[in-house]
Amino acid sequence: MNTEINGARIYWQSDFSLPLFGQISITETMVNAWIVMAIILFLCIFFTRNLQKIPKGKQALIEKAIVMIDGLVEQNMGPGCQSYAPYVMTLMLSSILGSLVSLIGLRSVTADLNTTLGWAVMTFVMIMYANIRYKGLGGYLKGFLEPIFVMAPLNVVSEIATPVSMSFRHFGNIAGGMVISTLLLGALAALSTALHLPLPIFQIGIPGVLSLYFDLFSGCIQAFIFSMLTMVYVGSARQA
Amino acid sequence: MFAQFVDLNLWRVFVTICNTLITFLIVKHFLYKPLRNMLAAREQEVSDLYAKAETDRREAEAMKRDYTVSIANAKQEAADIVSGAQKRAEKRSEEILQQANTEAATLKKRAEESIEQERKKAMNELKGEIADLSVRIASKVVEREVKEDDHKRMIEDFISKVG
Repeated sequence: MNTEINGARIYWQSDFSLPLFGQISITETMVNAWIVMAIILFLCIFFTRNLQKIPKGKQALIEKAIVMIDGLVEQNMGPGCQSYAPYVMTLMLSSILGSLVSLIGLRSVTADLNTTLGWAVMTFVMIMYANIRYKGLGGYLKGFLEPIFVMAPLNVVSEIATPVSMSFRHFGNIAGGMVISTLLLGALAALSTALHLPLPIFQIGIPGVLSLYFDLFSGCIQAFIFSMLTMVYVGSARQA
Repeated sequence: MFAQFVDLNLWRVFVTICNTLITFLIVKHFLYKPLRNMLAAREQEVSDLYAKAETDRREAEAMKRDYTVSIANAKQEAADIVSGAQKRAEKRSEEILQQANTEAATLKKRAEESIEQERKKAMNELKGEIADLSVRIASKVVEREVKEDDHKRMIEDFISKVG
């Protein structure tokens, strides 16, 4: 019995090709991302419906979350960075839900390098923007020549390594978990077949325990790490 | 058809960035805007409440001060009234005593006067009696009719000389 592990399914691919982008396509990842966006939109509307001055139930929950994100932003980026909170919240929600859609049988949005790389590029742009804004373009470029000018190539590499490492870390964790889950499922199915069981009973329960780690824990922790790194990098660029 | 497991496609990265930006706008508009507004409104209300409580407290303190002052005033007034009444009563009682004394003195004086008058009257009567009696005794003694009027005069003179 063979177990196949593939990338995202491509639902549609254009015959034409655009400059820079090449052939454009619609993939499973994109569709799942749109589903996640719809869920986020629903959650936002659900949680902010009928807001009261005296919080109760779901409102207390969402207020707690907002205050928590504000606290994280302030702690990692310094005071006066509250405007970054919605972006951090976006990253957290997209990442957590994007990883957790695997629980309802969809392919994780974050198990696609293009997704995590997209976020990392956004973070990278924000880092560069903060650097240029607070150090000036000259100061930012001069920063590459420190401590001595021969270090410049290494500095450039380390600068570019930031988004690359961030995106690969997130992608690798989720995709790796998916691979292990799939392999385990295949192995258990093979075991059932080898024992001539009428039903693949080994597939009940055991993958769920692993899914607890590889989907739930890993998904949440990677979302947290990604958001934290974004805050820390942008914050340090602002403070430098 | 499947994509590569690890693939890099500029178009898909671009779509991800667009998706994330849209999600960002959703989160900002539908989650943060109403919540921040609500939190700001609540903060405003709380600070208003605190300010109002502070003014109320100040007002209450001022009122308390006023009340304390007016109660002290009232007490003072009451004390004044009581002491005034006491003074008046003392004065009045003194006046009454004075009046009574005066009246008593007047009465006493009048009584003395009337006693004196009575005494004088009695004395005069006594004088007349004595004179008559003397004349009668004398006439009895001399056995002759003395001219009564002369006699009487003589005796009266005598009595008045005696005392």
